[in-house]
Amino acid sequence: MDLSLFGLTDIVVSLKATHLANFFAMLIAFSSGIVIFISKNYRLTKSFYALFLLLSSSLFLIVYAQDYLLFFIGWEVMSISTYFLLSFTLSKEALHKYIIFAMASALSLFLAILILYSGTHSFLYENARESFLALSDVNGIIFVALMLFGIFVKLGTIGFHYWLVDAYEESHNFFTPYLSAVLSKMGVFALIILVTQVVTLTYTLAIIGLFTSIIATFKAINEDSAKRLLAYSSIAQLGYIVTVLGVADGMSGALYHSLIHTAVKLLLFINIAGIIYVTGRSKFSELGGLIYRMPQSFTLMLIGIIVLAGMPPLGGFASKFMIYTSLLDAKNLLILSAVMFSSASAFLYIYKLIYGVYLGHPTNKKLESVKEVPLSFLLPQYILALLLILIGTFPAFVVPYFNAILDELGLKQMAFSDISTLISNFGEYNGLVVISTFITLFAVVLLFLVSNRSRVKEAKNRFDIAYCGEEPTESTHLHYGYSMGKELRRVSLLNHIYKNSVKPFYDFIASQTLGFSDIFKKIYTGNLANNFQMALVFAIILLWWSIK
Amino acid sequence: MILLDSLLMFIIAYGTGFLYYGLYRNITARFQRRYGPPVWQSFFDSIKFFTKEDSTSHGWMFYLGPIIMMSGAIMTLIFIPFFSSGESFVGFSKYGNLFVVLYLLVLGPLGNALGVGAAGNPFGAMGITRGLSRLFAMELPFYIAVIAIMSLSGSSDIATISSTQTTLNAIAYPLLFIAAMFSFIGMMGQAPFDVVGAPVEVYSGPATEFSGKFLALLMSQSAIFTFAKLVLMVHLFLGGADGFVELLSKTFLLFLFVIAFGSMYGRFKTPQSIDFLLKVPTVIAVVGLILATWSS
Amino acid sequence: MNTGFLQEQKTLEGDLNSENSHQNSVDFLMNWFRKRSIFVLAYGTGCGAIEMPPTFTSRYDAERLGIRGAATPRQADVIIVSGYCSYKTLRRIIRTYEQMSNPKYVLALGSCTVNGGMYWDSYNTIKKLEDYLPVDMYVNGCMPRPESILEGFIEIQKEIGEGKASSWQKYEENYKFYRKNQEAVLGEKVEPSYEADWYLYDGGL
Repeated sequence: MDLSLFGLTDIVVSLKATHLANFFAMLIAFSSGIVIFISKNYRLTKSFYALFLLLSSSLFLIVYAQDYLLFFIGWEVMSISTYFLLSFTLSKEALHKYIIFAMASALSLFLAILILYSGTHSFLYENARESFLALSDVNGIIFVALMLFGIFVKLGTIGFHYWLVDAYEESHNFFTPYLSAVLSKMGVFALIILVTQVVTLTYTLAIIGLFTSIIATFKAINEDSAKRLLAYSSIAQLGYIVTVLGVADGMSGALYHSLIHTAVKLLLFINIAGIIYVTGRSKFSELGGLIYRMPQSFTLMLIGIIVLAGMPPLGGFASKFMIYTSLLDAKNLLILSAVMFSSASAFLYIYKLIYGVYLGHPTNKKLESVKEVPLSFLLPQYILALLLILIGTFPAFVVPYFNAILDELGLKQMAFSDISTLISNFGEYNGLVVISTFITLFAVVLLFLVSNRSRVKEAKNRFDIAYCGEEPTESTHLHYGYSMGKELRRVSLLNHIYKNSVKPFYDFIASQTLGFSDIFKKIYTGNLANNFQMALVFAIILLWWSIK
Repeated sequence: MILLDSLLMFIIAYGTGFLYYGLYRNITARFQRRYGPPVWQSFFDSIKFFTKEDSTSHGWMFYLGPIIMMSGAIMTLIFIPFFSSGESFVGFSKYGNLFVVLYLLVLGPLGNALGVGAAGNPFGAMGITRGLSRLFAMELPFYIAVIAIMSLSGSSDIATISSTQTTLNAIAYPLLFIAAMFSFIGMMGQAPFDVVGAPVEVYSGPATEFSGKFLALLMSQSAIFTFAKLVLMVHLFLGGADGFVELLSKTFLLFLFVIAFGSMYGRFKTPQSIDFLLKVPTVIAVVGLILATWSS
Repeated sequence: MNTGFLQEQKTLEGDLNSENSHQNSVDFLMNWFRKRSIFVLAYGTGCGAIEMPPTFTSRYDAERLGIRGAATPRQADVIIVSGYCSYKTLRRIIRTYEQMSNPKYVLALGSCTVNGGMYWDSYNTIKKLEDYLPVDMYVNGCMPRPESILEGFIEIQKEIGEGKASSWQKYEENYKFYRKNQEAVLGEKVEPSYEADWYLYDGGL
């Protein structure tokens, strides 16, 4: 596209519907549709919808751009419209945190793009690699550092995640799924463009991704609020994607995991939104025992957490399998063990999520009489759950589409034989066989159990538990497990994670900035007469300097 | 054909698992200078629970929890081939690989956790918390060792790993074997890492509230899981097996070592075991990994 | 020439294969399994609890008869009321007994359960356990030594094998009688009604 009619004869921008762009655009469109469908439960003003449209269109601009200028325009519009959308419900402090980080990331991205432009005076992706090679060494490192800073703030990598958790927790309940499922994927998209078009970064990305997953997983275990737990979980899952993008042939794992993560975070956040809609609470210490009042929500969340954990019958295992085999292939064995370790630690917060909300005992009277969430919350969840089950049964269904993307990016394609088997260099995984064996065994054991002669007596009252001969009453604290994870502080190694946080660092930066800007207060005192005096002084200095 | 195979594998695992438990009680008894129960005692225990007149249930999730555990146990079993080569007793192993098995090992505890959570007993929640905390610490040295083995054998298919060992992996890579054994002792539920099921201390931990036929299902799935884990370790480190004699003797030797180790030691607290498992076996495993893959 | 430990074992184990009474084969098989595996609730209710550890550990080894401890009432078959029961303990014993799953048996140790024993004139203990819980087997003594407890277990095993140990059915059939006695002695602190629902409104079984 030629911008010469704007008077800018030097700059060329272009838009193209590449396969990669189409993939991300599909994720954006699907999520937008679902989020708007749910939003009709909440009373929202027209300005909200207008801002939301602005946001979605900026996202499309980001993915379809073929040059860094349009990409950056889209990125800026996204940051600003998110700011306005968040300002409806966020507290001042959280909003300030968001906008400072967003502006810092946008500005550093812009600086990085300009540095790249200085290579061959072109913004286009296809000239990006030679631009990078034309930079001097120092400029190259500065470019990579600034670019990564900008992207990591969006992804919420540990160290730059300070804004993310509060923003997720306090944003509108139906907007948080969008934040987590889609906006973080823009960071992934930017990283993919960086890694494939410009420069390959191996161990940098891998180590940062590792630290992100491990630290965020343990911080998630410690949380009491459901939305904060899911926020840290998002950070950890994106850490996997960052790690796997740092190895060769990791693109297929990254794409697969983006797909799965979008679907599962939509499912879980919508579930929590439904719970908050019906009960008005989001902390585990105020919820509990909802399984018998809301069996459908429980089943849907169960499917969600099985996928999040990456367990075989459902879809999450396929993406984990791709990630693991690409790491094995590249012989990054220690990194692979760390990724598997953080994946195993994820079981703790996954169980805490479902126990704190649905299992256990209700913590107050009102919870014993709530109704099931409305159908408009359940319907998208059913669709997402069905999608995840189908991906789990036929994991290689998406492989031809990914192969088209990989082909276009010039990377090695994945092997493909039939839609139910994932093939890698290190073995095969047949999703259809696994899920059908599981269902068959389940049915067989259920039949055996039902036909057994021993009768089943239902405990008539929720207090009829084996409690060492005592009888718990209404005031006994029975929803014990909601504070799971506090005992991990006694492990000395993990205590380091819990004791330290990034807050002191940013407080230090803030205080230094305030102190520095205090100097300017001596000049700009706010007094109008003083301003005129200062203006006169500066005018005299400028005159003298120009005369010289 | 494959279904008949799996059925036979299930029956053999069921019988051998319970027999090993009976032998475990006998051998531990001899360590303690007494005679133990007859070797068939575990069969009697589980059949007695099936003949109970009634069992208490706390809702449909509680009912389905043991069923998920049992299906998970049987699935883990049929995805591990008994022999390193040949076409019999391989179950569904060619449709899955070692990663699938490693994740299926967690399906049982997940079903347990859901069932106990539905009952709402706080002691159960306490036991599950301990179990999950111990799980991630225990799996780290095991994963490092297994990943090293997978990389060295060039495949994640269990039959391939066990048949390409010229010398036993336990002897060729001793550090990896030692690290994996630490985790394996925890997986078998033996001291010093057996704080999860501590019977009277945590009111049975994850097995609280299960009575009658549910408890019988728990005991059965425990037996099947034990046998599956033993066969997995034999394939990974002890060179697999080509006949039932070799398989049974190798699994029994491994089991004997584990219970002898367990009867010597006391029990670590949960933070102590996590701390230990994240330090000593992990460092051993990492050193073993570096040494093993340095040359290749 | 074998006296002492090994001889003891032969005499004890010889009694396990008792003659059977008139049961059909399914019941016979079930009772055979039930008698070979007995789980005792680890609950020492009175001063007789001091005799339980030696019985279940290495010196007198009850495990060779298939008897082992269980942690929760849901998993146990036998509850041992080992001695006196104060009213405070009686409440917990009854609640625990009702949480066990059928078939369940009660083994009463010591003379306090028979007629009050040493505490026959106390204001705070019960004098006759049979009024409050159905008892399968009494083992006399103050306290009975582990050999006596083992003999009590063997007798219980014999009765289970013959299908005669049915105190749990007696409890369900005469629930109103037991409940009246329990309420008389525990006052308003008796167990909540959801326990009674099982027995009264399920039609007895």
